Amino acid sequence: MWRATFKSLVAKKLRLVLTAISVVLGVGFVAGTYVLTDTMNAAFEQLFAQTSEASDVVVRSVSAFDAQVEGPGGGGGGDERTPVPEQVLADVLSVPGVATAVGDVQGYAQMVDPATDEVIGGVGPPTIGTNWTDLAGDILSLRGDSVPPASADEVVIDAATARNANLAVGDRIRILFQGPPGEFTIVGVAGFGDADNLGGATLAVFDTATAQEVLGKRGVFDAISVVGDEGVPASELRASVDAALPDGVEAVTSTSVADEASQALQEGLGFFRTALLVFAFVALFVGSFIIFNTFSIIVAQRTRELALLRALGASKRQVIVSVVLEALVVGLLASLLGILAGIGIAVGLQGLLGAFNIDLPSTSIQLLPRTIIVALIVGVVVTVVASILPARRAGSVAPIQALREASDGPVAGDLAGRRLVIAVVVTALGAAALLYGLFGAESDGASIVGLGAAVTFIGVAMLSPLAARPVAGGLGAPLKRLSVQARLGRENAMRSPRRTASTAAALMIGLGLVSMVAILAASLKASFDAALTETLKADYTLSTSSFTSFSPEVGRRVAALPEVETTSAFRQNGFRVDGSTSFLTAVDPGTVEDVATLEVSEGSVAALDERADVVLVHRDVAADNGWTLGDEVPAEFASLGDRPLTIVGIYDENRLVGDYVISLGAYDEYYTEQLDSFVLVTGAEGVPLAEVSESISAAASEFPNVQVQDQAAFREQQAGFVDQLLGLVTALLAMAIVIALFGIVNTLGLSIYERTRELGLLRAVGMSRVQVKRMIRWESIIIAVFGAVLGIVIGILFGWALQQALRSEGVSEFVVPVGQLVAYLVFAGLAGVLAAIWPAKRAAKLNVLEAISYE
Amino acid sequence: MASTMPAPPTEAAARAANLKKVYGEGDAAVEALRGVSLEFGRGGFTAIMGPSGSGKSTLLHCLAGLDSPTEGNVWIGDTDLTTLSERQLTALRRDKVGFVFQAFNLVPTLTAAENITLPLDIAGTEVDRVWFDQVVDTIGLRDRLRHRPSELSGGQQQRVAGARALVSRPEIVFADEPTGNLDSRSGAELLGFLREAVSTHGQTIVIVTHDAGAASYADRVVFLADGHVVDEMRDPTADLVLDRLKSLES
Repeated sequence: MWRATFKSLVAKKLRLVLTAISVVLGVGFVAGTYVLTDTMNAAFEQLFAQTSEASDVVVRSVSAFDAQVEGPGGGGGGDERTPVPEQVLADVLSVPGVATAVGDVQGYAQMVDPATDEVIGGVGPPTIGTNWTDLAGDILSLRGDSVPPASADEVVIDAATARNANLAVGDRIRILFQGPPGEFTIVGVAGFGDADNLGGATLAVFDTATAQEVLGKRGVFDAISVVGDEGVPASELRASVDAALPDGVEAVTSTSVADEASQALQEGLGFFRTALLVFAFVALFVGSFIIFNTFSIIVAQRTRELALLRALGASKRQVIVSVVLEALVVGLLASLLGILAGIGIAVGLQGLLGAFNIDLPSTSIQLLPRTIIVALIVGVVVTVVASILPARRAGSVAPIQALREASDGPVAGDLAGRRLVIAVVVTALGAAALLYGLFGAESDGASIVGLGAAVTFIGVAMLSPLAARPVAGGLGAPLKRLSVQARLGRENAMRSPRRTASTAAALMIGLGLVSMVAILAASLKASFDAALTETLKADYTLSTSSFTSFSPEVGRRVAALPEVETTSAFRQNGFRVDGSTSFLTAVDPGTVEDVATLEVSEGSVAALDERADVVLVHRDVAADNGWTLGDEVPAEFASLGDRPLTIVGIYDENRLVGDYVISLGAYDEYYTEQLDSFVLVTGAEGVPLAEVSESISAAASEFPNVQVQDQAAFREQQAGFVDQLLGLVTALLAMAIVIALFGIVNTLGLSIYERTRELGLLRAVGMSRVQVKRMIRWESIIIAVFGAVLGIVIGILFGWALQQALRSEGVSEFVVPVGQLVAYLVFAGLAGVLAAIWPAKRAAKLNVLEAISYE
Repeated sequence: MASTMPAPPTEAAARAANLKKVYGEGDAAVEALRGVSLEFGRGGFTAIMGPSGSGKSTLLHCLAGLDSPTEGNVWIGDTDLTTLSERQLTALRRDKVGFVFQAFNLVPTLTAAENITLPLDIAGTEVDRVWFDQVVDTIGLRDRLRHRPSELSGGQQQRVAGARALVSRPEIVFADEPTGNLDSRSGAELLGFLREAVSTHGQTIVIVTHDAGAASYADRVVFLADGHVVDEMRDPTADLVLDRLKSLES
């Protein structure tokens, strides 16, 4: 029995390869995700360890929570801690056992490329400004004829920036800060060991006095790095330094700082990993359809062989085991190949990051045992599970079937009775779980939605044979008059509805998700549009192209213009309410209502001006928490800890400002870094808008990262962000679609093998090779378009459910991007043509004589 | 090469000259045909007979353009098949040749009517409705035209195949053991139908068979043995053919 299994495997190498590809790709995606994130993790851990070696103990102010809550945008990348007064350094230096101690400052510093007058970096990784200390040389390595910065107009920049912007020692460069920008001479280029930058962050290093000045840290340090005398253990040093510190300032060992950093990184990477794994599992899920389908076809084709085995005395169980065993071998081999593919995928992705100027400190590729185990388990389990139903069908082959002539007629797609009921029940359960996850679940909503979607896909796949005949027939109806090969292609696609349906179902999943994302993107854009139209009263918006925060200096300069009536800045950041992270917006209470609509229904915006510990809350949030005017919001800030905020107003319109609003004055108290997220501007009475825009642009000209946009341009920019995200998600789903196309190749290949005699007959009575190819191409197109139609229908339903669920988050509009969905349909047809290439070639090459004298 | 050969006589629907066919190479080489020369006059009904391994199927395949001879020439009408490209051969089979195989003659996804017009549809030629009706009436399956092959009996399927072979008015129809899978009544019906095509419409037909009864429907029987033509018989009867076969085998 075992030998029969392996013989059959070896005999059908091609079939094995085609079946395995779907598993290889899926497992490769999973393994690649792990390898990439493990490698990134290892690289950063190494770097953190290296950095922490420069000092033994770090002195800093106490923070309420460790999380690096950042508002939208990178900023200076420092966590939110209050700076430490300068005199603490003197205290530390006088502690016995301290050899040296230096004050560190860090903040926002974004360089402007002198050649293009465009800002460098700022999309994603932070743009960091810091100071050169006696310990800096242990972390930063100066390259070539570099020297440390020694005066107020000198700067050392990171090697990646120097390389990309073609900058060298001696060049002048403009740098943007929280305050006014400045011009500096580059005196040095530095790397981190071999790496040119640190995970994509740009770096500008000044002497300490200059750094304090430009980074807004006059008289303070963000932290103090301490090196102990030879022989003093770090823990002892920490204790003695800590004892000398004032209240609110703590000493921690450098290793624990490194641990904190790597823990924060782990969290970030974990999120990244989960996001990638979701797409990897979609790919695997699609792959499981291919495996199921392939094994079903193989079992059908081997009916006589299996019956013969049964007639010769093999038990039902042995037959089932032989099929499952074949799946096991395929799964195992494919998973091993998938791990190799995963390494390739990880290396490729890393190269891609490098192309986006995100340098990782060099480390070898990390292939952890966990990755291998997970990949093997996932690959084998998916393959074996997908083969169980076909195996059971193989087991139910009766010995007598060995003697019967194989049925040559079209196989009916019987979906009667029990099977239909099961299919309906599965679909209903999936849809119910999906809806519960979206609307009902208190926690784990995302997982329930995912599971529900998967089950719904399975249910629809089970139901789809019902639709296969009418839909394929309907799609093909116009072909009927076209030519006999088109008609035959259509007939072949309708011939085995179950086979067509399960092949198409694989494509359905990919296209369903892609369509859903497209609908969500279109709905988001429309909702943004609506929100902006309904909430924005300003003529102009100042923001950056990547929606990072920018220097408040811009707003200050614009406010001083005579052509401008009102200038109102908005800052956004994270804080905690009841222990969970939320976001707040800081507004100027005096002007906000001139530029935006808040619809304050209770209390007033003006009340924000009275004290710092007050807040405006969105109506829904207040209702959910049972808060009314005068109640306290249990807020917590990283810098200051618990700071209950009293509710002085409730507003209805949250699409611009989110759920919590405080004043800019309060923001200044709670956050160290003061950067604007966006600034809204209205022109002065009687000044033509063109003039207003011109003078604003002139005032902001020193800040190339800041864009001056009217409402239409701002809206367009928002749409651009959504489109970017849509592109990214679609690209990640592409793997699932590619696998589905392999599924079509596989099904067609197997069908052609099955129809050898029929093809021989067609060739004998005069069908040319070209016509044979066309016939197969049509079949492929119909299967692909059928899958696309199913997918798009499901995508629309899923998209609608998602939009409904996100209504309260501001996705108020539901839009179906018809043009885009039609484009997907056309694309599916073209993909069908692509998938048919190989099977068509094979069918055309068929030897007529051998085909007709077959058997 | 064709120029050195005598011009094909126009009265022949098909002709083979010194046909040789060798399968395999070296020690494993098998000579299936060892120099066969034959003519099939227009409007004739010829049966090719011989013991198994005599080369009769190979001869039919070579004549019909399904297989290419190792040596020698084959003409269908005025066309020398050995000079044709694969594409031209395909077109020739479509336009000039009709086929009836032993089994699996029909495309399962097409109806009987669609199967009959298949070669015309492939060629994109208009179907001659009058001729189509005549053929369909002859096979007596008018009420079955919309049925698929799986809904037809074996005999009906073979008659549909026969109709398909005739509907494009080919130069010649080749049938390879057309009654091999049929019971004697169905076989007789099919042969009667082929006979009528010859008698009434002047169709040229060549069948390969090992059944003396089937051969008796032909005007002429060609006996093959060991890749040679060993005998011919005009106006055969089943008994005469049977006697001749016995003497060949002994």
